[in-house]
Formats: sequence, structure tokens, C-alpha cells
Amino acid sequence: MNFTDACVFPYPTGDSSIRRMAIEACDLGFDSIVAINSTNCKYAGISVINGVFLNDTPVQDIISKVKRAKVTDNLIFVKTRDNRFNRAVIGIRGVHILYGLHLTDGYAFDHVVAKMAADSGIAIDLNLSPLINERGQSRQHVLNRYIDVVNLYRRFEFPIVLSTHAHSVLELRSVRDFSALATLFGFDIQDVEKALGNIGRIKSLESAVREIK
Amino acid sequence: MTSRPPTLREKRRYVLVQIEPVGILLDQKELYFAVLEAVTSLWGDAAGAFVHPAVVAIEGSFAVIRCRRGTERELAIALSCITSCSGQRIVLHTVATSGTIESLRERMALMKISDNEDVQPVECAFKGHLCTVCKCTGQKIDVIEKGFKNTTRFFLTKEDLEN
Repeated sequence: MNFTDACVFPYPTGDSSIRRMAIEACDLGFDSIVAINSTNCKYAGISVINGVFLNDTPVQDIISKVKRAKVTDNLIFVKTRDNRFNRAVIGIRGVHILYGLHLTDGYAFDHVVAKMAADSGIAIDLNLSPLINERGQSRQHVLNRYIDVVNLYRRFEFPIVLSTHAHSVLELRSVRDFSALATLFGFDIQDVEKALGNIGRIKSLESAVREIK
Repeated sequence: MTSRPPTLREKRRYVLVQIEPVGILLDQKELYFAVLEAVTSLWGDAAGAFVHPAVVAIEGSFAVIRCRRGTERELAIALSCITSCSGQRIVLHTVATSGTIESLRERMALMKISDNEDVQPVECAFKGHLCTVCKCTGQKIDVIEKGFKNTTRFFLTKEDLEN
């Protein structure tokens, strides 16, 4: 898994079937996609990884939902909220990715959360759809948040994943578009390649044998 | 008015883009306004003027977009931010950049070979929705749900259809 779009929404949430999304993703240069509420499978040479979204729930509920979702080898996404919530969520074993950072305020993801994310290997999802769909002040706000995250990434080196949150094949973007859009918030080609490969790394780390001392 | 000698003309680059969904009919002027809006909103007026975008041609599901030499990257980023044109949802995928339109036409001719599968509108079903096939390219099938307004378009494959 070298290049992965970290989040897409196939039918019924979106208007494109999972097979069609896999074919289009293959044409656009990806070798895997993370589909929300789907099944782990392979279409047209593309690995489809099932993702589970956990949002707007208290930490206690997230712990129980993560336990249930972990059994079926899913990627677990948790929506970021305030700073206290993010610190609590990062401590939960089984959470893979935090998303929705552009919707939070500047204090939600600070240097402490960044350090905790780096230590526990939890990735931060940078959603490119607001950069594509928003205009004016709201896009500037998103860019500012992402620039802030990238500054922390340079210091603490927590994993970052890039995604389109596409509900349709018309919202998917090519690997070339990913790298072009990522330059807007200070990513270079190496950073983009690393970010697109992070889903594979998360999956391989999870399945790897660990030595317990 | 005489044209400038070639050494005094500004250098330009041409970007070939593929328009999706395949088979959509776009007006050149409307596409120009969509490109201009995307460039201006992303880079501002000054940088937008320097990019100097123009839609040179639309041929089938391809378009050739011109820009000033050295601003191809800025244009490509702005093109990836286009989501609609004259009320229709579209996406522009950058295929190639060249100094001449001729070489892009050659590229287009190579890509068009697999792009000419039109189908008769036939009825089909997908997950309980009664649909009409509107475009078929290889495994890919675009269908429009039959309904009062006929507006919902699904992007499927042949395997997804029930009959």
C-alpha cells in the first residue's frame, strides 16, 4: 500500500459504488482506498480497507465502540473536538486516525496532543475537500489550521494521512493533484509520499508480531 | 495590426485536461469562467492575471487550457479545485502539459481510442432503484435514476447492476 486515499464514502452515503470508486482510484494512481462502512476486499487490484467513523460521542462510548470495531480489523477514525477530548482519545488503544481538525479551534491540537500522537502512532487526517470546495475566508481558515499542523509535524513527526472524503467519483483526485494541493500547506513531494503510505504502515504495524518484555 | 515576431511573444504552455463525467457537454465560455473563478479565488487577482488562463479548445471529453510559461503548477492546482461548470458537477483531471497544442492533440488521439463506447438508453436496476444507462465506458457505467425529475446520477460498474 504505497498510495492510499484515506477516506472515501461509497454508496449508500455517496453516489458511486465501491467497485467504481476502486476502478477510478486505480486510474488516478492509488493502490488502496479506505471506504467508510464498507468491507475489507479487493477490486480491480485496489485494496479496499473498511473504516469506521466515531463522532460526537463521549469518550466512554468511544472506548466501547473501539473494542467492538477492533474485532473486525477496521480502521477507526475519531472526530477531533476540544483539547481535553483529543488528549483522552489519543490514549485509547485501537484508535487509528483523528479527523476533522479543520473544524476545531487552534487550541484543540497543540504541542502536547502532537507529542502524544507521535508517541502512540495515531495519525492525523488532513482532509483536502475543504481546500477544493471552500472559497475565500473559510478556505484560508482551513489552510491556516493545516499549516499549524504541519509545523507541529515537522517538530514531532506524528503520522499524517491525506484524504478526499469523496462522496462521488467526481470528488476523487489523482496522486498528482494530492501533491499539488498539499504544497499549499507546506508539504513537499517526500512528505506527500510518506503521508499517502501511512495507512499501509498503520495496518502493517497493527498486524506485526510484537515482543513483550 | 501586425503580430509580434516570435522572439517578442510571451511564452505559453498548454495543459490537457480530461473532463469527467465522460460525455458531458460544456460550453467553452462557461468553462473559461469556471477556470478563471478557480484561479482568482485561489491565487488572487494579481497572480491570476499573471497565470493568464484561457480555454483554447474543448474536444470531446478533453479540454486544452492555456497559461503563461512557468505558471503551470498554479494552474494545475486551481484546476483541481473546480467542482462545477454551468450548474453541472464536473472534475478536471490534468493529463499533460506541453508547449504546443499539436502534441496535446496527438496525446488526445491516443486516449480517445478507448473512449468511444456510447450505448442505447436501456433500463436497469441498482439496489432497488430503477435507472437508465446514460454512459458506458469499459467496466464503468453511469446511470440516471428514473424519477420525477431524473436528476440523480449513479456511478457504477457492470457488476453492480442487477439485470
